[in-house]
Amino acid sequence: MTEELDLLKKAWKKDAHSYEQVTENQIYAMIHKRSSSIVKWILMISIAEFIIWSGIGFFTVDDNYLKTLEIYHIDKLFKIITGFNYAIVIVFIYLFYKNFKTISTNETVKKLMSSIIKTRKTVQYYIWYNLTMFAIIFIIVVISQITYDPNLNSVIENTKEMNPQTFWVIIGLIYFALFAVTFGLFWLFYRMIYGFLMRKLYKNYEELKKMDY
Amino acid sequence: MSNSLEQSFVKQLKENQNIIHKICRLYTSGEDAHNDLFQEITIQLWKAFPKFRGESKFSTWAYRVALNTAITLYRKSTRTVATTDMEGKKQFVAPEDYNFEEEEQIKLLYKAVQQLNDIEKALVFMYLEDKDYEEIAETLGISEVNARVKMNRIKGKLKKIVNP
Repeated sequence: MTEELDLLKKAWKKDAHSYEQVTENQIYAMIHKRSSSIVKWILMISIAEFIIWSGIGFFTVDDNYLKTLEIYHIDKLFKIITGFNYAIVIVFIYLFYKNFKTISTNETVKKLMSSIIKTRKTVQYYIWYNLTMFAIIFIIVVISQITYDPNLNSVIENTKEMNPQTFWVIIGLIYFALFAVTFGLFWLFYRMIYGFLMRKLYKNYEELKKMDY
Repeated sequence: MSNSLEQSFVKQLKENQNIIHKICRLYTSGEDAHNDLFQEITIQLWKAFPKFRGESKFSTWAYRVALNTAITLYRKSTRTVATTDMEGKKQFVAPEDYNFEEEEQIKLLYKAVQQLNDIEKALVFMYLEDKDYEEIAETLGISEVNARVKMNRIKGKLKKIVNP
C-alpha cells in the first residue's frame, strides 16, 4: 500500500541537499521586500473601505444637501442617523483591529484560516450594514421626495390627465431600477474583489473542514 | 527590529533553508514560482520571528509557518499545476547507483503529488519528512484519527494516478 510514497521518500531524502542555496545577502534582501500575502491585501482593502464609506457621508454634506433635507422634513432624522453611523463605524473598526491582531502564522493551518475568514467577515458585516442603511435611507428619501419635493410635485400636477395607476407604476419602476442598479453594482464589486482574493483560501478551508468532520 | 535579531534570523534561515526549498518544490512548478514562494515564506518567517521563542527547533517552527504561507497566505494566482517543469531549483546530479527505471517512477510520483490539492500536499510533505501523526494533526489543526484517514486516502489516490 505504501510503496509509492516510500519510494518517493527515499528520493526525497536524497534530493534534500541538492537545492540551489540562497546566500545570507539574498535573505537580507528578501526580508526587506514587501509581502504580497492575502492578509496584507485584506488589510489594505478593508482600511480603504472604512475610509470610503465614512468619506461618502462626510463629503456629500453641503449646503444644498442640508437645504434639501429641510425641504424633505428629514433633517433631524438624518442628524440622528449620522451620529448612530459614526458609533457603528468605531465599533466595527475596533472589531476589525481585534480580529486582525489574532492572525498569526505561528498557529495551526486551520486556526490561521479561520482568523482570516473572521477578519474578512467583520468587514463583510460592515458592508452589509452600509448597504442596509443605504436601502433604508433610500426608502426614507423616496417617501419624503414624493411628499415634499416641489419639482416632483409639479411633475405630478402636469401629468394629472394620465391614469394615476400607470403613473405610480412608472414612478415605482424608476425608483426600483435606480435602487437595483446601485445595489447590484456594489454587490458585484465586492464579489469581484474578495472572490479573487479569497477563492483559494475558502477552497482549502473547506477541504480541511471536510477532512475533520 | 534590532540588527542582532536580524543576524540571528538570517543565519538560522540560511542553515535551515532546505526545508523551505522542499515546500516550494511541492507547491510550485518552475524556478520563478519557486523563488517567489521562497521569498514570501521568508518575509512571513521574518514577521513571525519575534514570536519564535525557541521552544521548538527553528526548522520545526519554520516549516509550520512555511506551510501556512503556502496553503493560506500565498496569493500568486498564476501558479499552475503544469506538469512540464517539475525540477524546480533542484540541480540534477546523477549518482553512481543511477537506476533509470526507478528514476522515471520517481518523476511520475512527483508529478502525481503535484496534482494533489494544497492540504493533501501538506500531509504528503510531513509524511516525507517523517513527522508522526500527532505532529501532522497538530500542524493542520485537525484530529489525529482524521489525519490518518486522510493520509491513507492520499496513498490510494497516488497509487491510482501512478498505476491507472
